Amino acid sequence: MSTTKTPQVNEVNEFLEIASDFEDPLEVIRESLSNSYDAGATEVEITIRDRPIGSEIVIEDNGEGMDYADLESFFDLGNSTKRDPSSDAIGYKGHGTKIFYKSEEVLVNTSKEGTNLRAQMEQPWEKLNNRVMPEYEVRERSVKEGNSGTHIRITGFKSGRGFSPSSLTYNKIEHYLKWKTLAGSTAHYFTDDYHEMDVYITLGDEIDDTQGTLKLNNKLEFPDEQIEPGEGNFPESRMCKHYPPRELTVETDDGDTATIEIVGMIGGKDARNELPTYGKHSAQFGIWLAKDYIKVERVNEVISHDNEFLHFFFVANCQDIELSANREKIRNKSSAIYQAIKEELSHYLSKIASDPWFKDYLNQRRKAKLSRRAKSQQSSVEDREKQIHDRERFVPSNDAEVVLGLERSNRNGVLPEIVVEDYDPDVEVNALVRQDGSLYASSIHHKLTDHFGADKPLEAVDKIICWSYGDPDELSELERHGYHGGDIAFDLNAGRIEYQNGRKHNIHIVSVEQRF
Amino acid sequence: MGFQQKQHGNNGFEIANQAGAARTGTLQVGDTELETPNLFPVVNFYAGGTSSSLYGGGIHRTMKEFMNGDEVINGGDYSEYFDGVMTSVASLTDYGITKERYEEYIDTPIKERDLFDFDGVLFVDSGGFKFLGDKTLDGSDFEVDVDQRAIIDIQRKLGADLVLNLDRPIEPDDDYETRVQKARMTAQNVDQFLELTNRQKQTRYLTLHGYNYSMLNTFLTEIEKVIGKDRVHREFDGVALGSLVPLKDNKGKLITAVSDCREVLNDWGFDDLPLHILGISSSAIPLLAAVGADTFDSSSYLHAAINGKYHTSLYNTEPLDDVDFSNCDCPVCSDDKLVNWMKGDAEYQKDKLGAVSMHNLIIQKEEIRRVREAINKSGTDGLIEYFEQSLSRHKSMQQHAHRVVNDSLGGYF
Repeated sequence: MSTTKTPQVNEVNEFLEIASDFEDPLEVIRESLSNSYDAGATEVEITIRDRPIGSEIVIEDNGEGMDYADLESFFDLGNSTKRDPSSDAIGYKGHGTKIFYKSEEVLVNTSKEGTNLRAQMEQPWEKLNNRVMPEYEVRERSVKEGNSGTHIRITGFKSGRGFSPSSLTYNKIEHYLKWKTLAGSTAHYFTDDYHEMDVYITLGDEIDDTQGTLKLNNKLEFPDEQIEPGEGNFPESRMCKHYPPRELTVETDDGDTATIEIVGMIGGKDARNELPTYGKHSAQFGIWLAKDYIKVERVNEVISHDNEFLHFFFVANCQDIELSANREKIRNKSSAIYQAIKEELSHYLSKIASDPWFKDYLNQRRKAKLSRRAKSQQSSVEDREKQIHDRERFVPSNDAEVVLGLERSNRNGVLPEIVVEDYDPDVEVNALVRQDGSLYASSIHHKLTDHFGADKPLEAVDKIICWSYGDPDELSELERHGYHGGDIAFDLNAGRIEYQNGRKHNIHIVSVEQRF
Repeated sequence: MGFQQKQHGNNGFEIANQAGAARTGTLQVGDTELETPNLFPVVNFYAGGTSSSLYGGGIHRTMKEFMNGDEVINGGDYSEYFDGVMTSVASLTDYGITKERYEEYIDTPIKERDLFDFDGVLFVDSGGFKFLGDKTLDGSDFEVDVDQRAIIDIQRKLGADLVLNLDRPIEPDDDYETRVQKARMTAQNVDQFLELTNRQKQTRYLTLHGYNYSMLNTFLTEIEKVIGKDRVHREFDGVALGSLVPLKDNKGKLITAVSDCREVLNDWGFDDLPLHILGISSSAIPLLAAVGADTFDSSSYLHAAINGKYHTSLYNTEPLDDVDFSNCDCPVCSDDKLVNWMKGDAEYQKDKLGAVSMHNLIIQKEEIRRVREAINKSGTDGLIEYFEQSLSRHKSMQQHAHRVVNDSLGGYF
């Protein structure tokens, strides 16, 4: 005997699960903008208020409105009327609007082709949490044809911790919309189906009273190009070059194909600052993969490691990437097509990185850095000049200057003449000097103590040439403890070191300072 | 100063199309025309190339059987891949031959020998790179002092169509003085070379040595000092850039050397002369053609085969044992007998590897044909597209492909 079973879906849990993915009230706006755009709206107004029971969000557009079927898919899970993934509609999974369930009330008032529908759902979130499927009531009435549009009011939206509307500002919302929603869409560069849509945002005064309604469009726009370097200390910082829209075709070994629509820019810091910001530059620049022309995730690994991704801002749209319900992540990263997309992007970006303009831009950066360094060198030269003016006589500050000092003392006729014949600062016995016709292996240091500080042996050295002796206590300690296992005695008056390690060895000390 | 068009002979070079610094053209040598860019396979005519060595000669012998279309390789016609070949006078130094054999070998011009059915362009180099050290051609019982006169004698006896002066190649570590010294020695040879050769009978190429503009400019200046400005400009049919073999694995330096060479030639008024690149082939060919090289010579098709490597493209090889021959539709891989040879079913190793060599050569020649076609498309788009589909898809080549597109073809953006 055999029986056929159909797996069951716990629909309440599904709703809970999907809606729980969304936390940020801004995600409500993202979904609404996409819905309004898909409904052909040319204007959408969004109002957000902070109320004691939660936030109130009102979205009103002049799109084509909804009929019964549209309304059903608005409330249903996985029942989008926008079923065709190849159409330019943004939502087709039927997940996005479920974010509205996290509220006290959802009220939809929509007019389409002479019919007005008013749908009301009360306490959806509480009911879901009580494992009850919330219902909605629809009332129909006739209206004048042509007055289409949709008005949605979400009352008591449950923001996640840290996403409270009270933390919103116009500034924050503008940057979010431009960065993460279709207000920053690249569609206008590519598709004929694109239509303009104005977005008006109003925040209640209790949230931000610093300005009136904010108006945005639905286009990502790059800062103006500036091909040539500017003036000043950072001439590259406003340089900016646009890389025009290109369509790239990729194919996997299995014959699956995908199209990538990429557009972008390279720019210095000032140019990048003219774009909306969404966190730090390191968090927002590089190469973005987009779906529905809205940025999703970055793939900075497609830029070769010898190029800093920070200079790049590219948006690569591909309808063949699959997104998680909240649109924050790409799901099909292990697919062959995703790998092929990355390879093609990597190839395209290698061409961008080889663009002579980009090289010139990096060169301008480098030159500016060198010139800033030269300026600091200049000021260091000035400091050193001042030191020379201020001091009364020659005082070396390093080993090499001791060599110069020694030569200078020779020129001044000081006897005995000690001539440096060979100097190699990198070896232990760093000099060979000639005195009275004989060559002596020597160690030249700024201070006598430096020889011991450098832990150099004494056996191979005939002379230690120094400017001064250094700290007398250090020398006394050496006498007390010995050096490299041998006994050592300094006779500074006689200019001599007696060293006994097995055999006895005398080392001549030359104080250059005393020759001045 | 300007290059004066030649008034005599059937020799000449005519540029057909240009894409950036790249160009296609026709090199006319005697009655033979060679499309450029093109590749001269290096063929060793000595090995298995005399009647007394009928059963020896190894892989070189098999190559000549392909060249002839002999029955033993199933009688296929491979002559199109031998439209021009290079051979070196120095190939004799590889064999401790007797004086008798030596004289027999250079006794009859190659094209007149019954043993070969070859009527392409015969390019005989001077072997400068091999005689650098000892200056003698050593046989088992004789020595020939190698000087310019001796080299020309051999080149002439072999019936060379295209000849080079005896040169003194430089090395990457050479200092300025050494390079100038070598240039002067080469200049002395060039002087003699011009006196001893007849342009009516042979196409004459001047060798150049240098890795960048300044080195090449210094080299040409030294040549000019010895032979005079007038002759530098009037007496040569082409230029051959040498000394690049030590840089063969550094494509960036190769590109610099060739593009700088082209620039020097332009500045010296030699822009109409064909430029041959000595000793460099395989994956560098498209890159160097893109910056203005016209011809190449290659023995890499042989060396790859000897090392058990089968070319699947100009840039890729597969170990012979792993090859699926049905993926290639070249005449060798389409011939069951030859495929069986390559699979190991051959009496002699030379036949197995000879067939692979022939296949490898066909891959190289076909690729250079594609480069020609790409240059011939109007503008630079054809060649850019060629790189887009080929070298720029290989990680190790990508940056070089981008460089020539940016430097020579107007860039991507």
